[in-house]
Amino acid sequence: MKRLLEIEWLKLRHYRPFWVLTGMYCLCVVLICSSGMLFLRFLKNKGADFDGIDPTIIPIYDYPDIWQNMTWVASIFKVILGFIVVISVANEASYRTLRQNVIDGLSKSEFLKSKLIFITALSVLSTLLLLVIGLIMGSLYSHVQGVEYMFRGTAFLPAYCLGVITYLTFAMLITLLIPRAGVVIVALFMYTVMFEPLLSVFLLHHPDVADWLRSLVPFLPVRSIYDLVPFPFPRYFLMEIQDYISFRQVAIVVGWLIFNIGISSLILQKKDW
Amino acid sequence: MTVLETRSLTKKYRRITALHELDLSIESGMVFGLLGPNGSGKTTTLGLLLGVLQATSGDFSWFDEAPSADSRKRIGAILETPCFYPYLSAEENLRVACRIKECHESNIDRVLEIVGLLDRKKDPFKTYSLGMKQRLAIGSALLSDPEVLILDEPTNGLDPEGIVEIRDLIRYIAKSGKTIILASHLLDEVQKVCTHFAVLRRGEKLYQGGVIDTLIDQSTIDIAAAEMEELRSVVQQLDEITSWSDQGEFLKLTVKPGTRTEDINRKLIESGVILSLLAEKPGSLESQFLKILNES
Repeated sequence: MKRLLEIEWLKLRHYRPFWVLTGMYCLCVVLICSSGMLFLRFLKNKGADFDGIDPTIIPIYDYPDIWQNMTWVASIFKVILGFIVVISVANEASYRTLRQNVIDGLSKSEFLKSKLIFITALSVLSTLLLLVIGLIMGSLYSHVQGVEYMFRGTAFLPAYCLGVITYLTFAMLITLLIPRAGVVIVALFMYTVMFEPLLSVFLLHHPDVADWLRSLVPFLPVRSIYDLVPFPFPRYFLMEIQDYISFRQVAIVVGWLIFNIGISSLILQKKDW
Repeated sequence: MTVLETRSLTKKYRRITALHELDLSIESGMVFGLLGPNGSGKTTTLGLLLGVLQATSGDFSWFDEAPSADSRKRIGAILETPCFYPYLSAEENLRVACRIKECHESNIDRVLEIVGLLDRKKDPFKTYSLGMKQRLAIGSALLSDPEVLILDEPTNGLDPEGIVEIRDLIRYIAKSGKTIILASHLLDEVQKVCTHFAVLRRGEKLYQGGVIDTLIDQSTIDIAAAEMEELRSVVQQLDEITSWSDQGEFLKLTVKPGTRTEDINRKLIESGVILSLLAEKPGSLESQFLKILNES
């Protein structure tokens, strides 16, 4: 395990695009997650009015709501982590280093494990980043303070982590199918932010869609991860939201995780590299 | 010890049979040449043996064991073009290989010294010339001090100087007792460095044997004398000579196996012919190779 992590680290530590994308990701997450108050002030200055309520008193950084709010927002940027995984896997195919690794004595299952360790490390680090931002923003802006409140609702962090891991294995699977970084990056981006969301909106809201088709929406690969941390902000408009993690959704995502790894392993074993 | 054994190894790509029921046995210490025209199945064979291609049928064993990632750690190999991370330096690339092979990092400078890249070890791989890339590949193959070295067209695309360097390197490595498997379409190359060879054509093995044996079988003797007429008549009467041809200036003799050049000389002197030329010519693999290809 240590050996496989070291191999991945040696491959990436001098690779500039890796650091550029990682930097971009961290910057996006830190900026967006910590600028909630600025955004609310901006709304106030623009004269936005929520039934006479001052936007800046909306408690988005209050424990325990902060964890669901932040994991939901940060989840948008997982596509950047997806790009890192796509490049890392596609390079191994285009430089033919996967082939050389195997010749040198790495088994294909070890290769898969090394990529999975890398994916897990990225996801865990991203989750830790959120934990740190959450603790800082919470201590600055939460109306309730104290250790006994801080960690309530942090169950959204492991759920978020599971979602990112699953999404990254999805990116790996697509790259193993089509080992072309450029093509897969565009396809992954379009699918994640356009195609699947449009598809699910269509299926959910078009009157002529059969019920059984509609019921498939929560099972879509990206949608299932999206539903893991439910959209939290309507609660500030006194709408009811799901403020817990549903077991059913976790089961679906774990199902995808197993599927992604299983098919990736099959492709690695069967394809001539 | 048997290093490698293949049993009816076969690889099919849809309709094309790239390799048909290959049986091969390679013993420890051999410098084995895998010879054949382009597209004859050499690289396919090595790809199968190194676990990057999946065999359609048949199997093989390394060191009398079923092939595994661990058996590959005991083999150093380059397949076709050198494959490294272009953005990493030679040293960093070898560090990755070192972790994979689970060998000590002190080997890195040792092999870079052997292939003459020590002073360029900090430069990115992508800045290397083709010859340097090829040498780094050989260096990487030597990293774990492997028992077997597999080289696929190691002099491909190199300039004459580079070719000589690589050949010297192969001979140097062979001297240390390592088993070497060398795939090449260059006959001359196999003849210069190999002890044994097999010939492949369209995925079929046509021939397998020792290079020296094959060459001795076919060595010829050139002779000439001041009195060529007399020489011709004497030569016709000698039992040791199986055939001869008149080359104008000299006669080219093919002799019975076991006949030495001095035997011929003595017989001729006894018959009263004094030679002005007596030269033993080893057969070239080229003529053998063409003969093998034509016979089948």
